[in-house]
Amino acid sequence: MDNDIILEFKNVTKKFPGVVALNDVSFKIRRGEIHGICGENGAGKSTLMKILSGVYPHDTYEGSVIFNGEELRLGDSAIKEAGNKGIAIVYQELTLVPTMSVGENVFLGREPLERGAINWNKLYADTREILTRYQLDVSPQVTVKNLGVGKMQMVEIAKALSEKASILILDEPTSALSETEIDKLMDILGILKNNGITCIYITHKLDELFRVTDHVTVLRDGKEIVTEETKALTQEKLVSYMVGREMKERFPKSNRTPGDIVFKVENLHALDPNETSRKVLSGINFDVRKGEILGIAGLMGAGRTELVMTLFGEYGQIVNGKIILNGKEIMPANARQAIDAGLSLVPEDRKGMGLVLIQSILKNISLPNLDQFAGFFRIDADAELKASMEQSKSLTIKAPTLQVAVETLSGGNQQKVVISKWLLSKPVVLIMDDPTRGIDVGAKYEIYKLMNDLAKNGVAIIMISSDLEEVLGMSDRVMVMCSGRSTTTLSVAEATVERVMSLATGMSS
Amino acid sequence: MGISNQTAQDKTNFKSELFQMLRLNVQTYTILLALIGIWVIFFITTKGTYLAPQNISNLFRQMSVTAFLAAGMVLVIVTGNIDLSVGKLAGFVSVVAAYLQANLWYKYLPDQPLLSAVLTVVVSLSVGSLFGALQGYIISYLRVPSFIVTLGGQWLLTGLILVVTAGKTIPANQPWFSDIAQGYVPITWGWIFGIVVIGFLFWNMFRSRQNKRKHGFELQNIYIDLLAVIFSSLIILVYVYNVNSYKGIQNPVLLLAITAMIMIYVSNNTRFGRYSYAIGGNRDAARLSGISISGMVFNIFVLMGFLSGVGGVVLASYVGYGTTAAGAGYELDAIASCILGGTSTLGGIGTIQGAMIGALIIASLSTGLQMMNVAPAWQYVLKAIVLVLAVLADVYFKKNR
Repeated sequence: MDNDIILEFKNVTKKFPGVVALNDVSFKIRRGEIHGICGENGAGKSTLMKILSGVYPHDTYEGSVIFNGEELRLGDSAIKEAGNKGIAIVYQELTLVPTMSVGENVFLGREPLERGAINWNKLYADTREILTRYQLDVSPQVTVKNLGVGKMQMVEIAKALSEKASILILDEPTSALSETEIDKLMDILGILKNNGITCIYITHKLDELFRVTDHVTVLRDGKEIVTEETKALTQEKLVSYMVGREMKERFPKSNRTPGDIVFKVENLHALDPNETSRKVLSGINFDVRKGEILGIAGLMGAGRTELVMTLFGEYGQIVNGKIILNGKEIMPANARQAIDAGLSLVPEDRKGMGLVLIQSILKNISLPNLDQFAGFFRIDADAELKASMEQSKSLTIKAPTLQVAVETLSGGNQQKVVISKWLLSKPVVLIMDDPTRGIDVGAKYEIYKLMNDLAKNGVAIIMISSDLEEVLGMSDRVMVMCSGRSTTTLSVAEATVERVMSLATGMSS
Repeated sequence: MGISNQTAQDKTNFKSELFQMLRLNVQTYTILLALIGIWVIFFITTKGTYLAPQNISNLFRQMSVTAFLAAGMVLVIVTGNIDLSVGKLAGFVSVVAAYLQANLWYKYLPDQPLLSAVLTVVVSLSVGSLFGALQGYIISYLRVPSFIVTLGGQWLLTGLILVVTAGKTIPANQPWFSDIAQGYVPITWGWIFGIVVIGFLFWNMFRSRQNKRKHGFELQNIYIDLLAVIFSSLIILVYVYNVNSYKGIQNPVLLLAITAMIMIYVSNNTRFGRYSYAIGGNRDAARLSGISISGMVFNIFVLMGFLSGVGGVVLASYVGYGTTAAGAGYELDAIASCILGGTSTLGGIGTIQGAMIGALIIASLSTGLQMMNVAPAWQYVLKAIVLVLAVLADVYFKKNR
């Protein structure tokens, strides 16, 4: 009977100085199932995974982990050990070497040797075997950097599986994927399950849990709240387990009446600055009103990020079209000009483009706004601190002081720092590129509320999101993009999932 | 104010806070401890002469040229660049300064030592800044990596030095010019200067505490702040006393102290400094925050060129000659000073203070080993060991924090 259980956590407690990351966690995972783990950031999901993967050796935590009937005792060089035992992990951040081929990546560090030299034929043949077994649609010889994110994820899975894995852990695998790529991943999970592989699926996205998992474990503040059959759960129930309170609505309601048009883009065409023969934007038309949230929907590669980066003066080479702000035509050549004109951009890649991770909250918030406090010779430290403090208070950034480095904050708080920094510049139009990507439900809700408040105070907001529900839930109007073009702008009443998807895929216009 | 009944509690707080401060700033202290360790070892092995006034005097003067270069190099490395040309640039400037005195002023400005010294300095600093501007332009606007541009710059300058000197040594010993690096601050002024700096340290501490209190920040135990300031003050007093019992503070050291203070201020309290660290911390985030990366990098290379010019003037004045070998290898000493002082080669992290201590360590090693008559071959070996050990200790402590 115990044969059914592949993995069991028994009273696992993990303490760090000052924090209990896991508090007496116990639950079981059945062989061959897909087991979802969800919880807000800081709930203890990643600590749990680090115990499984051997990042935290067995003597650094209390309690025990039973794997295939025996206690998992991973030593100091445990990461390889875990792999040998059949525990494979696909991390949230991709770990591939972009300049190498798919096959080389899959067998990196374990290349099949023949008299000391790499046997390339075997390497590629074995790679093809793994890829076809799990119906992963990638060619072994192609260089990884030429693949899209979705395919890279597949390579990542193949790499993990090539270690004869019996259990596969996927940590937030869809945070960078488009809708179709997510569908494909869900299919792959099904195939893995049919091949007898147990999956642990960690995610923030509740709809994915309902689509693929058999059981779900909810963690909160290091404690296991519940482990239940997915069928027995509802979205509302799951959310209330996660945040510890009832959350009636995923999106907070707000009554607002948008004012006059403040920002308008007319027939915008732009080229890829690195490859000017390629057109990235071919005909963009939309407008935003004061106090309105305009959602931009579209598939990965439709040019949404390219559009907002171009508006901000930092990407496309504009060949045609007009950008009008407050009735005046503007043509920002760089971020400084865009900021001075009244635009703010919360970029898609929070860590890569939004923050200087090694610097303090204070320095991050004031970075684009130093002109407000500084002449050539001096920064008025008092004024800087006062303004940053006000921002951080009104956005409820949770941190001991403003002096701590932003890299120590959770994803939700980091995003609040990015938003603070862009609110301090008092924008007329606030552009947010996937503002809730990779952050937990509670923090998402706070950001939604904040967006509503801003709109109420007259800020025009342009929001991109790959989460269609979010676009429909938050926007007053939705602009749909398809291969570099804006198709049409729908009012939120007209915008249904089906309508938007058919516009985004180019099936109707 | 109830100070007496707080004392007992303060004492225990003091201990734990002191310990915490030492732990958090372990890097700063490792490097200080290394410096003190080196001094103690040489003090013993030279039977005390190492710390004698005359030698301390020499030691600080010896570090000054490298230290000027290191003060600029910190910002260059912080923004993710490198400058391999600074040694030869200082050398070139020193040769130009010598050439002007020996071949031009001698003819066209006879008996005008003050004017010719001023002109020499102006031309020298301009040459340094212009060369920095040239390199900066190629790096920031034409987008050639700084490693390549400044390596090319080093070769170019090596050639130019040979052109100017025609392979000979040129004297640079006009009276006012020589005073720049060979002169001393009068003893009374040395004391006044030392006391002004100490006064500033105390004022700065109390002001910063007051500011923190105003904003409701948690204050560090006052005894710890006092201890740090008193310790620094003691070092200044001992230094001034020591060199005053020889001939006084040397002009180049005073110049260096002023330069270092300006650079510390610039890096902490101006937009220029803030932007430099932001660029090194995350180039893309800095760009999207409206910072002109090209403009900043250009300016930093101009500043680096200017400071190389200052180094060159001090070098020429101190040595009294412009030679074909002038400045050779100084760029590596300057880079090593930065690294020893905690500047990260990955960019975004580094302090001027640290680099100054780094430069002092390198000079301390060199003079000490010379005094002990260690063969040059072993001097290199020992310097290598200290450099790598110091960085190793740093890596180790960071991991265990």
